[in-house]
Amino acid sequence: MTMKVVRKTGSMPYSPRINQFTQTFWQRLAEGELCSTRCLSCHRLSFPPRQFCPGCGHRHSEWVALSAAGTLYATTTVHAAPGQFMEQTPYTLAIVDLDDGVRLLTRLQHNDESAVPDTRVALLVEQYDDGCLFVAEPEHEGEDSIG
Amino acid sequence: MNVAERVAIVSASATPVGRLTPRDDRLWDGFDHDVLGGVVLDALGQIGIANHQIGSVVFTAPPPPTRQLGFATFMCAQLGLRPNAQLAQVQEMGITGGLAFDQAASDILLGRADYALALGVAIQSQGDATQAMDHSLRVVGDVDFQSPFGMTPIAWYAFDMCRYLHETGVKREDIAAVACKSRQWSASNPLAQFREPLSLEQVLSQPPVVAPLGRLDVPARADGAICLVLCTERRAQALGVPYVVVSGRGFASEGFHQIGDHPHDMTAFPAATAATRRALGEAGKTLDQLDLAELYAPCTITEVLVSEACGFFGRGEGAIAAREGRTAPGGDTPINTSGGCLARGHPPSLTALYGLLELREQLLGLAGDRQINAAECGLHVCELGNYNAALSHIVERPA
Repeated sequence: MTMKVVRKTGSMPYSPRINQFTQTFWQRLAEGELCSTRCLSCHRLSFPPRQFCPGCGHRHSEWVALSAAGTLYATTTVHAAPGQFMEQTPYTLAIVDLDDGVRLLTRLQHNDESAVPDTRVALLVEQYDDGCLFVAEPEHEGEDSIG
Repeated sequence: MNVAERVAIVSASATPVGRLTPRDDRLWDGFDHDVLGGVVLDALGQIGIANHQIGSVVFTAPPPPTRQLGFATFMCAQLGLRPNAQLAQVQEMGITGGLAFDQAASDILLGRADYALALGVAIQSQGDATQAMDHSLRVVGDVDFQSPFGMTPIAWYAFDMCRYLHETGVKREDIAAVACKSRQWSASNPLAQFREPLSLEQVLSQPPVVAPLGRLDVPARADGAICLVLCTERRAQALGVPYVVVSGRGFASEGFHQIGDHPHDMTAFPAATAATRRALGEAGKTLDQLDLAELYAPCTITEVLVSEACGFFGRGEGAIAAREGRTAPGGDTPINTSGGCLARGHPPSLTALYGLLELREQLLGLAGDRQINAAECGLHVCELGNYNAALSHIVERPA
């Protein structure tokens, strides 16, 4: 599933570091694909991608594409934020359980009071000048634009 | 090694929790080390112990605004302490004070030290709040895959509250009742940061910080300094001074850094359940034999969830219990009689030590108007992250 890519002006308030291993994740995200690693020994799926399997300790994994669809587990709207994020307040953080079985932290693209726990969401890509992030939106918001 | 011995808390001293520095341009009375130095001398003076008798000194790591680094050795030099068993500074989020206590207690149990100090100072309320949160951004979550979204430490607890309200049907005001009952306890605690009564309307009318948590559901910034003195029970008896003993200890970790990467129940706090069961088992006690509990709980919802995880209440019943006054003065399950993080106050690295101090005061009958009648046995629980790991102690008044 190709994720919708939304262009944002400026830089990310707090940029993730990228290394030789994680650059695969960020490059594929910029192309509209969410991915992570699966252990070649016990087949445990991890998120974020890892060089060691937390399940069995195996050192070898493969990259796999993930579904960008999932369900909201919980949200919180942040009104008092670290300095880099103050201009963005209030913003809503979300824990999303992807249909592929992994849990991740992200943001709702827009504050949305109807986005209660168990709401279906889709992830999309926010493309900044210095990189990209994945954010969530309730499925009803983006039904027409997510391929 | 003599593991049959029990560890005694034989002396303690602490400053009130709150702001320990002037609000204006006046010069400070003293710096961090001066404040803690006075506390240590008080604690040692109560039992007539000299600095050369201290074999183990375990500090909580000072908070980020602390200018003096190498604080542990600096502080020992200030006080003329020359520990020959251990000199350390420990830190891991909210469990920090519990680790200092645990490590000092281990040196007593292992026979490495005659006396051990678990101590720390936190002077942080004068700094810029946004700056403090900038630091915390690197503590909460994965700095590359979670922090870029703008996490804050108490956001974890807000997630918990969101999910708990959704799953249990409990009302926001039931959870807010925790803030009110905390003030009922702290009204008679001279160490407490906030002692004025608080109404449910006041709590509910505050602006959100991390919704659904409002300003009075979360702790204020606070300073403090505290020192607990530990030795074996036998040595405490020989000293002839009042003491309490640690009769059980349990630790558990669920292996997550705040949230796991697979779906799990974030509100169940299984580490608190397991750690408390282990501590009770070691002490040979059951929950109904506890007279009170001091539970590390930075937010209203946290106290609700950990009180359920420890087994005091069933799922969804912790908030109702607070609303009905069961955890308040006069209730059948006294929880956080100090006032807890919300009223006694919350210098995070020291909170566990202040919680253990409250148990000591209650069990020795020193708690004034908040005294639990004939209290003999208490539970202390502290945690790190979103209760991803927990450390529980059973503390008793010796028979």
